[in-house]
Amino acid sequence: MKKIPVTVLTGFLGSGKTTLLNRILSESHGKRIAVIENEFGEIGIDQALVINADEEVFEMNNGCICCTVRGDLIRILGNLMKRRDKFDHILVETTGMADPGPVAQTFFVDDDMKELFALDGIVTLVDAKHVLLHLDSSSECKEQIAFADVLVLNKTDLVSDAELDALERRVVGMNSMARVLRSTNADVPIADVLDVGGFDLDRAVATKPTFLSPEYPFEWAGTFEVNEGEYLIELEEGPDKTMGLIAAYLSGDEEAGSPEAAERALRTWSSSAIQASPSSRLSVDGRRVTLQLDAAGPKRFYLRALEAGRIGLYTEHLPAEFQLRLSRGDAPLSIISEHEFAAGHVHDAEVTSVGIHLEGAIDGKRLNAWIGQLLREKGTDIFRTKGILNIDGSDDRFVFQGVHMLFDGRPDRPWGSEHRASDLVFIGRKLDRQALTQGFEQCLV
Amino acid sequence: MPGLTPQPDRGSALIPRWRIQAGDYVAEARISRDGQLCVVGTGDGTVVGVDAGEGRELFRARAHDGGVLGLTISPDSTQLATCGQEPVAKIWAANGELQRELPGGGASWVEHVAWSPVGGRIATAAGRKVRVFGADGQLQTEMDPLASTVSALAWRSDGTALAASCYGGVHIWPFVAGAKNRHFAWKGSLISLAWSPDARVIACGSQDSSVHFWRLAKGEDSQMSGYRSKPKALAWDADSKLLATSGDADVTLWDFRGKGPEGSTPIQLEGHDAVCTHLAFSPHKTLLASGAPDKAVLIWEPRRDTRAVRHALLEDEVTALVWHPELSIVGGDAGGNVSMWAMS
Repeated sequence: MKKIPVTVLTGFLGSGKTTLLNRILSESHGKRIAVIENEFGEIGIDQALVINADEEVFEMNNGCICCTVRGDLIRILGNLMKRRDKFDHILVETTGMADPGPVAQTFFVDDDMKELFALDGIVTLVDAKHVLLHLDSSSECKEQIAFADVLVLNKTDLVSDAELDALERRVVGMNSMARVLRSTNADVPIADVLDVGGFDLDRAVATKPTFLSPEYPFEWAGTFEVNEGEYLIELEEGPDKTMGLIAAYLSGDEEAGSPEAAERALRTWSSSAIQASPSSRLSVDGRRVTLQLDAAGPKRFYLRALEAGRIGLYTEHLPAEFQLRLSRGDAPLSIISEHEFAAGHVHDAEVTSVGIHLEGAIDGKRLNAWIGQLLREKGTDIFRTKGILNIDGSDDRFVFQGVHMLFDGRPDRPWGSEHRASDLVFIGRKLDRQALTQGFEQCLV
Repeated sequence: MPGLTPQPDRGSALIPRWRIQAGDYVAEARISRDGQLCVVGTGDGTVVGVDAGEGRELFRARAHDGGVLGLTISPDSTQLATCGQEPVAKIWAANGELQRELPGGGASWVEHVAWSPVGGRIATAAGRKVRVFGADGQLQTEMDPLASTVSALAWRSDGTALAASCYGGVHIWPFVAGAKNRHFAWKGSLISLAWSPDARVIACGSQDSSVHFWRLAKGEDSQMSGYRSKPKALAWDADSKLLATSGDADVTLWDFRGKGPEGSTPIQLEGHDAVCTHLAFSPHKTLLASGAPDKAVLIWEPRRDTRAVRHALLEDEVTALVWHPELSIVGGDAGGNVSMWAMS
């Protein structure tokens, strides 16, 4: 029997949940949709079955401290399934202050719910104008953003483009897995919120490029044309004492910001870096260099190009932040194109995403032990996890996803000609990027 | 794995007496104490009355907008009460005529309705509210709201007290002068409740795959764990000695004779291919009926044999099971089929 998809709508009061709900109901002709609400909304659609229920969060006595479920959903959805014309889709609208964790866990912990329903996605509406009032102070607001598969930045007409871009960077810094949509009146395409596959392992894999793209460790890539010879990189004081940099040749008329070129840079970025103090001589060799910038005043580095051609320069921070200049003799080198990557480190102080990319094969046993212990100890603070892993001795990709301490994984399709590597993303509170990276690295064969 | 293990012996087939199609998922089935009337409530809100002797349909009424959730027949067999996916319960004459509505006291569905076994009172539960009405439909009492939504409701066998379970424990309200309300706290989500016929023990199935029970005299509690899933169905035998519990493909029975089940090895009945969901002990002889999503209705004599003694098959997963006082059994399934089988 096909499982019935469930979409969870979260967001603070006034973020546009009811507007979106009404749009979904009025545009989903012929679909039988049941809506479970926890606060009285203004749903004006007759054909939908709207059920109002008190939100009841139960703790499971299974030794797992963060394992909470929604008892009202288990009861109501169980009863709803006792009819011949079953529903095509279930929408759960949570209260503004709800933590989405228990809703999501309900569909993984309870046997009946697991058998009958498939959680399709968590859609969080964000009031672009007012969210900043809550974002720093409210853990519920952060959790709603952190848990989301889709983030709808709504009421965009009330803020400037710059404010909107800043907000998007902020929410992506918290949750790099979510797809971000913008709307003025919750007018997003229905398929983008009802057919998300956020907890579907096959789909998690299919959407891999999007779940990784905001996680590049560099913020900027520039494309330049060089001749054989030495170039000068000059930097002023900036916001950080070090900066990672890669200079690599590109093929043909490739752009540094293209997905293929960025993917290559990403791979080398995960290998160990060469430390470079001012006046060091570097070369266009595709290796990661950490520029030491703690000395006062302008700092110079020399970059040698062994042959003429097109190169890509990848920097951890935006060049403007350090007034970075690239020149030969006295002539500044003109840039062919540049690309900004969604900054991995516009980080909320509390809730962040940590994406880790590793080359090399992973030892399955060590990984299991590490993930198991990690989720046992830090499960309360880790909201969601997704991974595609290159397991030693297996020709298939291993995919997995988790909510708090609950996770499931399995071998997926063969790697074939695809580059074998492992990617892991955690979203959570007070995540220690360094400890997570080290833990993951210790799983390498 | 189904198909790879030989089917355990399930005894001889039960003899069918009648079969009807109720129209949708059989949510509840009840048989009147006089053995005349069988009533079935369905997932689309219909209530069907059937002559329990011949299977002739007596009435069919659209009782609730959403599905039927609860069904109870008065002990004098003249009235029934139903509840469904709406905030009222309804009282009907035994011929299917609507008599009155009982408001649950809020916007929540009335999920449970229970007629006192000695008559005179009807209890309803809607959300966190428990109400007690007279047989005339007049509201007599509304209890203080519980900590969370009521998951089960049961009368003491002599009608002198009412019990309800929820997340957080069991409440007991006596209906005799001078007796005090009781509350047995338990930090867990209780999902089913069975009060022993001798009134000494209340057993509850818990969301965390265990059975919790309280000996009421001293208020001592115990827990039986190790189930594969949550025990939705519990049934006491007529002597209050055996408690049958679901939660696994094997039906587990705990023996309350002597020192009780603590530390003892339970009786395990092996025969279902899916987690058992329905259990009913016959009112007189110690016969147990069980039903599961494997469509099978199995009859057991648990003290004599751990294999089924009789069996029958429905067409879809078993969703209701009730004994007729004269050793016949009625089963309903998710496809709306209702069958009665005789033991002989």
